[in-house]
Amino acid sequence: MTKRLVQGNEAVLLGAVKAGANYFAGYPISPSSEILAQASVHASKHPEFRFLQAEDEIASVNAILGGSLAGAKSFTATSGPGFSLMQEAIGYGHKVGIPCVIVNVMRVGPGTGMPTMPGQGDLNQTRYGSSGDYTSIVFYPSTVAECYEYAIQAFNAAEESRSPVILLSDAFLGHLNEVVDLDAIEIPVVPRTLEPLASGSTRLFSGVATYADGEPATADSDEYIRQYEESRLARLEVAGRYNCFEYGWNKESDTLVIAFGITRRIAQPLAPHFALFRPIRIWPTLDKELIEVAERYKKIVVIEGSDGQYANVVERMLFRRVERVPLLGGRMSLEAIREGLDRIGLLPIEPLESGAESPARVG
Amino acid sequence: MAVKDKLKTDLFPTIWCPGCGIGLIMQQLASVMDGLGLDKNNTVLVTGIGCTGRMGAYMNFESVYTLHGRTLPVAEAIKTVRPELNVIVVSGDGDMSSIGGNHLLHSIRRNPNITVLCNNNEIYGLTGGQTGPTTPQGIATISSPAGSAFAPINLQGVVNTSPNSYYAKTTVYHQGPMRKAIKEAIEWPGFAFVDIASQCIENNGRRIGFSSANDMLQNYRTQYKAAPAGSTQLESHQLGIIKGEPATVAGKSTAGSDE
Repeated sequence: MTKRLVQGNEAVLLGAVKAGANYFAGYPISPSSEILAQASVHASKHPEFRFLQAEDEIASVNAILGGSLAGAKSFTATSGPGFSLMQEAIGYGHKVGIPCVIVNVMRVGPGTGMPTMPGQGDLNQTRYGSSGDYTSIVFYPSTVAECYEYAIQAFNAAEESRSPVILLSDAFLGHLNEVVDLDAIEIPVVPRTLEPLASGSTRLFSGVATYADGEPATADSDEYIRQYEESRLARLEVAGRYNCFEYGWNKESDTLVIAFGITRRIAQPLAPHFALFRPIRIWPTLDKELIEVAERYKKIVVIEGSDGQYANVVERMLFRRVERVPLLGGRMSLEAIREGLDRIGLLPIEPLESGAESPARVG
Repeated sequence: MAVKDKLKTDLFPTIWCPGCGIGLIMQQLASVMDGLGLDKNNTVLVTGIGCTGRMGAYMNFESVYTLHGRTLPVAEAIKTVRPELNVIVVSGDGDMSSIGGNHLLHSIRRNPNITVLCNNNEIYGLTGGQTGPTTPQGIATISSPAGSAFAPINLQGVVNTSPNSYYAKTTVYHQGPMRKAIKEAIEWPGFAFVDIASQCIENNGRRIGFSSANDMLQNYRTQYKAAPAGSTQLESHQLGIIKGEPATVAGKSTAGSDE
């Protein structure tokens, strides 16, 4: 047992290594850069772990796809702008079926945005960022220990689903230091699933729609639908092994708060007043679980670091109106939550104790 | 083994237009691979988007048909993870030097031990004949009706920004020099780039006044001349090879080595 102070970004790197990652490619971008730097340090001590600081995020993500096809468990880490640059290759990874992990430590966008205030505005990007239809598996931890745990799970799900899996974090969580005993977290590691290149076969890994023999299937709708359904169902089945969420706080309340990632931590002082549902698997959405929980509550409020990206999802899922507390411009604090709740008439009569279990506001 | 064993002949005829130069490159590559003992157990192909990218589907190797412009980061990572493999990139001039130009600059700088065959037809052929980065100034295309306004990219100059790289210029007409360049490039211990002038009759040649693919090949025959021995730089329409100094082991640490 070794309890020590660990940073969220460091926990992600340690979890990746634990999962058997042996190829990292990345490009510096705050607030994810510690992962790049620590990957380089790890590589310098472990020659079997290969490291590339690439010329940009497009190269980074394509390199991890190539590294994965060659047989490595590969990953990259970035933030919003870099994640945007990776979108085309993420779609390619889904089309071809390449296991890899992409860590997105979110900051406030769009554009260069507010480097590096925390945000949660990349949820839609993790689901809909690339062109066409595909099935993303996305996890978003809330604690440093979970950063480690879900880094491992992200690699496991990537291997099982043979697709790029996204691990979300944010500027707040990535730079949060907590005392944890990572050795006490035991998660089985899924071994490599994809046969590496030069296997003796003559496979064609193609982003273009093709038949099994490599001939173009670019005008065959039936073949497209067959392949699409096959990969969609396979990935949903894998996602179903990771129905990760938290349901707690005051379950007798008539109001359910939905919060995830660092927002759930900031909202901790609300615990006596509201029930909490925290999705850890952000995509595919936890429909069965959330629908079942939501039925018990008169009101639902989504507190999140974007202007309703997840609230919209919940509304569509439940076919009912949900209240919104958007925490915008990096203002992810208990005060901002209080103001938001007040605006919609949900501020508890008893004043909330500020700060007790809530991390200090950054910036 | 025979050259034919390197090709998926059951998929022939290929998708390429009659008269296209790409098949001449594929046939010569297959022949060189046969001579060097390259097979599906020790060699991987990485191809880009554009007509050239289809080559991977027609050869008896495992092959990665990458996104447009992204052959080099994919190839470099494969070589890093599996240094024992021969990694051969086959791509067009637009894929390599326009949309993939930034990767070209930086792959050259890192000097991975990979081979690039660039099918240089001076046009975006697959999309119908738009100006490419290699289109000569003044040439009319469907996106430059009054003639391409800009000087083409200097691929030789870009590749030779590294003191360790290998650059060869050849044409599909000059099969002997092309064969030599492909073989040397595969054997070169570092980044090697073979710039192969190749005709696109359907979406370029006819528009600029050639009557047939043979007409374009004859033009290569008369226009291209071998560079004088000892040349350190090739002039326009010169065939030749410019070699740097093979990198030291230290300089290749990120790229991996042959063994």
